[in-house]
Amino acid sequence: MAAPEPPPPEGSRPLSALLGGIAQAAFHGNAAVTDELLRGQLYPEAPPEEFRALRAKMGGLLQSIASADMDLNQLEAFLTAQTKKQGGITSDQAAVIAKFWKNHRTSIHESLINQSRWDNVLKNMNWRVDLKSQLRHIDQINTPVAIVEMEVGKNGQSAALLCHLRKHQMKGSKKHLKNCGPTWNRSFSVWSSMRPR
Amino acid sequence: MGRDAGGAANKINLIPQDFFAELCEQIIHHLNHKIPGVNTAELCQRIQTSGIEINIGDLAKIANILSFLFSTAARNNLSTEELVTTLGSAVSTLPKHALQVIRHVWNEQGKSITAAEDARNVATVGQFVDMKWKLGVAMSSDTCRSLKYPYVTVTLTVADPSGQITDKSFEMTIPQFKNFFRQFKEMASVLETV
Repeated sequence: MAAPEPPPPEGSRPLSALLGGIAQAAFHGNAAVTDELLRGQLYPEAPPEEFRALRAKMGGLLQSIASADMDLNQLEAFLTAQTKKQGGITSDQAAVIAKFWKNHRTSIHESLINQSRWDNVLKNMNWRVDLKSQLRHIDQINTPVAIVEMEVGKNGQSAALLCHLRKHQMKGSKKHLKNCGPTWNRSFSVWSSMRPR
Repeated sequence: MGRDAGGAANKINLIPQDFFAELCEQIIHHLNHKIPGVNTAELCQRIQTSGIEINIGDLAKIANILSFLFSTAARNNLSTEELVTTLGSAVSTLPKHALQVIRHVWNEQGKSITAAEDARNVATVGQFVDMKWKLGVAMSSDTCRSLKYPYVTVTLTVADPSGQITDKSFEMTIPQFKNFFRQFKEMASVLETV
């Protein structure tokens, strides 16, 4: 009969740090955080197989929690169930995991979102308004013109998009933007009602 | 000019007279600042729908050549006959209907073009034509079952300095879009008050 898994070293700090290391590797893409590094830093006395088992278990739990983006209620139910399982976790471990998720939920979720943003994004935007005073067309003297510079790109690359808008165009856009407002508010409130509490 | 026109003239052969006339009209209106640019993509699609096999690159080349021809003629105040002379040896390679259209368009509207000095001042800056947006929510992904990530995709239609109209799309988070929206509103109010 296989011996039960020995409890982890006293103190929650190694476990908390282990969760941090797992998150770095799994969600933040930090390739420098290897299993060997974690074992050496956090559980130097533990036999390799034991550490591997612990790391695998914690990694699996964190993956489930992050994938479901669990709120506090879901987390509590999930961790409680884990403590009752054969070969599950202790209540001390559950407490450490809960505290870790409370502190890191937002940043881990953001990393997961970034992993799914593949299209061009707006990186930066600047604008100014010029007053044109010398033109051939008499009727265009003193026409204000807005010049907008947008930095658009993905991953490491970006390109500048420069464009100008005349006053009469903005009138159309202004109306368009005015219409944007109510439509926008409507869409956004639909989203808000969908969001988990 | 002559050699380029010779190459493009082969493709001009493909374009039926009415479409060619429409292209010239759009170019004149662009040079007149009546429209921000020539919608090559849209025109190309219509030509293709009518059964003609022309690609958008060739149509764009033809548009650029005609634009150069008309704007040079405007700058130098050429009469219709002088314009035809400018075409030089290309005249013999151009289809007869194309030459007819060029003459007609220039006769009717040549004088109304001011040389594009204005365009030169904003030579590196395109002109904003339209903006469209949509709100989406990414529900799930291969790395996260419960992603629930709202984002806004904006498509800007811009006419580049040569008059070609293109669309540029990009994504923004909600806070970014609110800021983007606010900046345009600010721009609008500054344009009103200046």
